[in-house]
Amino acid sequence: MATIIQRREKSSPTVDLASVYDEKAGTISPIVYADPAIYELELERVFSRSWLFIAHETHIPKAGDFLSTYMAEDPVIAVRQKDGSTRVFLNQCRHRGMKICRTDGGNAKAFTCTYHGWAYDIAGNLVQVPLEEQSFPNLDKSKWGARQARVDSYKGLIFATWNEEAPALADYLGDFRHYFDTVLDASEGGTEAIGGIVKWIIPCNWKFAAEQFASDMYHGTMSHTSPIMAAVTEENPGIDPSNLPGYQFRARNGGHGTGFFDAPEGSNWGFRIEQAGELVEGFDPEAAQNRQAAHLGDKRGTAFAQHLTVFPNFSIFNGASTARVWHPRGPNEIEVWAFGLVDKAASEAEKEQVRLMTTRTFSAGGTWEQDDGENWVEIQRVLRGHEARRTDFNIQMGAGATRTDGPDYPGTISNAYAEEAARGMYAQWFKLMSDADGSASKVGAYVDAAE
Amino acid sequence: MPQNNLATTASALVRGVSPELQQEIEQFLYFEAGLLDNHQIAEWMDLMAKDIHYFMPLRSNRGPRERNKEYSGAHDIAYFDESKASLDLRLRKLQTGVAWAEEPPSRTRHLVTNVRISPLANPKEYEVKSAFLLYRNRAEHQTDVFAGERIDGLRRNDSVAGFEIFKRHIHLDQSTLLANNLSIFF
Repeated sequence: MATIIQRREKSSPTVDLASVYDEKAGTISPIVYADPAIYELELERVFSRSWLFIAHETHIPKAGDFLSTYMAEDPVIAVRQKDGSTRVFLNQCRHRGMKICRTDGGNAKAFTCTYHGWAYDIAGNLVQVPLEEQSFPNLDKSKWGARQARVDSYKGLIFATWNEEAPALADYLGDFRHYFDTVLDASEGGTEAIGGIVKWIIPCNWKFAAEQFASDMYHGTMSHTSPIMAAVTEENPGIDPSNLPGYQFRARNGGHGTGFFDAPEGSNWGFRIEQAGELVEGFDPEAAQNRQAAHLGDKRGTAFAQHLTVFPNFSIFNGASTARVWHPRGPNEIEVWAFGLVDKAASEAEKEQVRLMTTRTFSAGGTWEQDDGENWVEIQRVLRGHEARRTDFNIQMGAGATRTDGPDYPGTISNAYAEEAARGMYAQWFKLMSDADGSASKVGAYVDAAE
Repeated sequence: MPQNNLATTASALVRGVSPELQQEIEQFLYFEAGLLDNHQIAEWMDLMAKDIHYFMPLRSNRGPRERNKEYSGAHDIAYFDESKASLDLRLRKLQTGVAWAEEPPSRTRHLVTNVRISPLANPKEYEVKSAFLLYRNRAEHQTDVFAGERIDGLRRNDSVAGFEIFKRHIHLDQSTLLANNLSIFF
């Protein structure tokens, strides 16, 4: 193991990170979005050391249910065990590295490599080797199971990490949990995933997407002005978000961020109906609003259009009930994996309202999402330019305007139109990227958050 | 699927479908494709019936025992699951002039072929399967090619076009969509 790490360290590209991110000056160098050497270092120092989203518990409800997914570029299989726990292991045969599972999901009794036939049970243990007596007479199969990731979950969401020294997931999330719960714990029983994962390619760096969902309410009225205008009718004047009070939150540790409007009661549901284009028969939005407000029990009950990112690459836009992972695919490309979230306690009509809304707004063909893809693609294209890569970006919005004494909103908050959460994300990114030995991602580095 | 194929072998398909009907429906499909390719989206939208179900399910890679789950179901998320009301919302979005994913608009070419017609119980209605190749080019360099099958429901009416579309189910031949968005119609 030691030699493997050493070899990897040696081949690590030399990257000068000294001036790429300067929080005080409020500048970030575009090379962080475009440099192949920085990307390689991210795979090692960001993605292999952080907790990464794997699946919703309801994606794999029964023993043997599995989902093929990725931790950054590494293919993994998440499998529900007979005791109800979840295993996440590398989708790579220990013999020659072929994928041991070549389907997207389903129910399995075992995973058999289609190259030479090594077979693994649903826990990832190597259980069968063809012609074992003749070919591998001294093989200790217990040592050649699939490589296991560490697994933890938070309110229905399963995460995994390769970092044995990372804090528990709840501590990794830290003071972000209060705002995460607005989505995950808005009703008794929490959430469930709507069936189906929309997967598509966007030729852009993963950080544009992660940052926007962490921090960027600002783009909404420009980038998404067309679906907002389209929904305005004589009967429905629509909501003008530029006049709403709103807040942004920067996690004390970990790089997580969120923002939302403090809107009139029921705004989320009004939005989900107008942007779906119709009200599903039998759905009572007022009952849904009241259920959630009562369960949340504080100002979070009126949070509208909440966006959030769990560092590094898991995001939710609760206005449209959509959750997604931005799987990195080199510096210039991502695979988006998006699914819908709905309260378990919701009626069938409410679930249908949410399903239609999230499909119609935030999927590859969504009336909102399609314009995001357009922006990020164009930015990435510009970054092919040598001079463009040397021209710093401004990341100063709302700098110095934070507060920690908000009566309704705990933690470091600022105006909804700010880049405080983005600065938090890049601070965490920079901390991990500058950290050769991994100490910045160990338990102690998150100790504040564990309070 | 195999049983379905037995019921729609070439000889069974041809029964009840005259060359004139075949030509009439093919011409309608070309007319409709022409509207889309000439950016006459509002005129194209007029061809959608009040009860239109415009639907493109997701597709996934499934093992032999679960092949029937290849397409996402009625209660799942989809690429498109649209009614007349939501298609109208899409049209209004495009007409704002600030729908950036289509401003300036994509250049498209809808190639429609392999047209197979089955009369339905209502004598005015037909199920029409076709294969499509949709080329999309936008901005300076972006090019996407989509292939797949459409399963349409056509209803004869008194309009100039001769038909309205009450069902368009689109089976895209991709599992991970290899495009940054789907801001065009199929």
